[in-house]
Formats: sequence, structure tokens, C-alpha cells
Amino acid sequence: GYVDWVLFLSSGHHGRGGAVLSGVCEDVPALLSVSTVQHQRAAVVVQPDRWRCVRDRLRAAASLPPAPGSHHSAGPHTGSAQVDVWCSQTQQRIVGYYQANACVSDSSPTPCALKIADKISEQFDNAVLLMLDGSKMSPDYRVPPIVMYERKDSRWMLKDKHTIMLRQWEETRAIATQLLESGDHTLLVDFDSHLDDITKDWTNQKLNTKIAELTSPANGSM
Amino acid sequence: MASVSEMYDVGWEEMRDKLRKWREDNYRNSEQIVDVGEELISEHSSKLGDDIWIIYEQVMIAALDCSRDDLALTCLQELRKQFPDSHRVKRLSGMRLEALERYDEANKHYDAILQDDPTNTAARKRKISILKAQGKSAEAIRELNEYLEQFVGDQEAWHELSELYINEHDYGKAAFCLEELMMTNPHNHLYCEQYAEVKYTQGGLENLELSRKYFAQALRLNNRNMRALFGLYMSASHISASPKVSAKVKKDNMKYAAWAATQINRAYKVIAVFLHFLISS
Repeated sequence: GYVDWVLFLSSGHHGRGGAVLSGVCEDVPALLSVSTVQHQRAAVVVQPDRWRCVRDRLRAAASLPPAPGSHHSAGPHTGSAQVDVWCSQTQQRIVGYYQANACVSDSSPTPCALKIADKISEQFDNAVLLMLDGSKMSPDYRVPPIVMYERKDSRWMLKDKHTIMLRQWEETRAIATQLLESGDHTLLVDFDSHLDDITKDWTNQKLNTKIAELTSPANGSM
Repeated sequence: MASVSEMYDVGWEEMRDKLRKWREDNYRNSEQIVDVGEELISEHSSKLGDDIWIIYEQVMIAALDCSRDDLALTCLQELRKQFPDSHRVKRLSGMRLEALERYDEANKHYDAILQDDPTNTAARKRKISILKAQGKSAEAIRELNEYLEQFVGDQEAWHELSELYINEHDYGKAAFCLEELMMTNPHNHLYCEQYAEVKYTQGGLENLELSRKYFAQALRLNNRNMRALFGLYMSASHISASPKVSAKVKKDNMKYAAWAATQINRAYKVIAVFLHFLISS
């Protein structure tokens, strides 16, 4: 069946990951990942059915109990706390985790990725773990550069490719290419960058607006 | 496509100064360096004087980051012509080979340098980088440890080693590296924060308390370190939630956590106000 998801933004640099969100959506794709994996750039944009663009203010999530850490202990758990609050305000949920490894040739899930995915699957049954396939991250990629894992018998197993369907892949790819060419990928802010400078908007309103413009029917391209 | 000077209305001197600033501040904004540097080199090389050689080096490395082997090779060839026997240029040749994943050839370059000059730290570090790129972390760690026995003051190396240990989930040894760094750089808030994060990751009450102390220390050194603020909140919350602590310790840590939460909220309120004005203007 479908995995109806919208993927969350995460900016360049090696070994970064991000949360997979789903929710009520309206015709606006969300950028999955712009990753400078070994000096190559690519972006994968997923266009869900419906996406509600909401303007929102950040509110510090002070209420979630902390969890014992993986390496980026203060990082993703802080991030997931904030993202959780934002999600509840915008009626979205965290439904998965994606990660790009620094080593291009190795797309296997790290212990850290597995741990985070485990935590997410505690809250959401059909959680997915997406590893980005570095070898397919190039401007002319023909297939989505992702490897998907699902949880079976408390282990993360490769999901059968034939049961995975991505909607509007070609349009998504076209938008991603446009964003890369126009240099808009530099606008991307992930939670780590946000912690460096909290004036940076990790919900990436600016970029989502640009994406919305690129998908509007008036644009003629869709 | 518009040139950099047209787009930003800058002259060649400003472009040259920008490159110098990026060099001095050790920025790795490779796409920008390539844009500015390539134009500077192709249009204004005669005006740059002796600066041109260091600019070639800077642009070459940035070009490797951006998969611009054409540009990298151009820069490299100019440097080779000017400095035919230079180890520094030989190292750049090696780096280009690394970028092309021709690791064996790159290693030959570095070995040649080391044969001539066994104390050449740059070549040794490049060899370690190759091991890392090949996924040979155990060997990289071993080599880096050997390197540090000789060059015990090399902070960059200690930091690199701490990261390698973290990737291997060897948090005890990572903590040791960070302790070395904190000893020699007691005012560096980032080392305190990273040490605190490793302690937090190791877990257990004792490590959590250490973690909280070092997050607090990082904040004393830099009260804008958001990671330290969040870390303080999380470690203090965790301690206060532990069934093993005394009532006093519980109460104290709840206080610390509450304080941190207030600071976090305050920081975000400022942003919210700022954004509100930005959006409504």
C-alpha cells in the first residue's frame, strides 16, 4: 500500500538526518533532503496529496521527558521535542527518520539511526527508516535515492521495493533540480543549524513557500 | 550568466579581500569560494601579485569540494609550474587524487613527502584521512593515536580522534580526548559542551551529574550556547526523575531544569516577537 508521507527538511553536511512527517496536506511538496554528500548535491522532494501550509511560531517544548542518549543525545531528542510540539500544533506526526551517511558508498543504517527509528516506532506503528543511497545522489538520478526499512519482529528489515510507491516522483525531481540550480538549497535550515542560531527557522517557511510557487498550476509546469 | 562582480556590484579588490577573510576565518563555503575565486583568477590574475598563489591553493581545495576537477587541475598546474619541488603542492596533488578516489596513488604522494621529511604533519594527516574515507576506522584511530604520541599538542588531531571514537561508540575514549582539549583550552565552551554530551550519552547517574556540570560550565563560558542550555535542561530533568537520588538532589535538579526552561522560553519569545515584526512588516 501507500506510505503517505511528507519528508522533513535537513540541510547539508555529512551524516545528518531528519524526521519524516505526515499529516493533512494540500498540494505542496516538502523537501526531503538537500545533502552535500561527498561534494555532490541532490534533493529529493516528495509531493503528498494534501498539505496545509501553516504559519507558526516556535514554542519551546519544555514538557517532554528526556531519554537516555544516543550520540547526538541532546540533539535529536531536543529536536524531536520541538518537532512534536510543532506537529501537534499543525496536526502532523513524526512517522519516520531518514539519514544520509558521510561515507557515500555505505548506506547501511548506523546504530544511532536504528535507535532513533526504534523510538519513533514506539509512538507510531508504521514508522519507516529511510537511508539515503549516496551512489544515486547525483543531478541526473533516475530513481529515488532511498533505501527503505520497516520494522518486522522488532528488527529493521528492507522493505520490498514493489510495495513502495512514491507519488509524483517526476514533478518532485523537477522541482528539486530547479531549487538546486537557483541556489535555493542554501536556504535550507535543519535543527542542528537552528541550535547554532535560533533565529533560523527549522520549519523552513521560506523554502516551502518557494516550493509552493513551483508547484502552483499557474506556473504551468505541473 | 551574470558574473559575481555584476551580481553583487563588487570590484576585484573586494573579491580578493573576501577570499582573504574566508581564508583567515577558515570557512569552508566552497561554492562561494569557487564562484568568487574562479572569476578573480580568470579576469584579474595580473593584479593579484603574489597573493595569487595562496588564492590558487584556496580555490583548488574549494573546487575539489564542488567536484570541479577542471578548475582544481588548472589551479594545481599553475602551482606546480611555480613551485616544482614543493611538498605543499605535492600534498595538494595528493588531495586531488583523494577526491578522485585514487587512494593508492595519493598515498604514494604522501609517502614520498614523508620519506623526504618525516616530520611533515600534513602528509601524515592526509594518510589518516584516506583511512577514514575508506571506512578503515580502527586503523585510522591507531594511526592517529601514534601521531598524537609525537605531536601531543595538536588540538585538531585530538578533536578528530574524539569524533572517530564517538563514531565507534567508544565514549570513554572520546571523553578522554575531550578532557585533553579542555585542559589546554579551559575557556572553550564548545569542548565543555561536547564533553557534557558524551557524558550524557554514556548515561548512569554519575555521568549525568558530570554532564549537567559541564553543560553549566559551557553556559558560564558562553551564555548563548543553546545546545548547552537544552543539555542542562535535559540532564537536570533526567537526574531529578531518577528514583536513586535523595530528596535534596531531586529538588536541586528540578530547580536547575526549571531555570533552564525559563531561559529557553525567554530566548524563543524574543525570536517570536522578532519574527512577528518581520512577518507583519
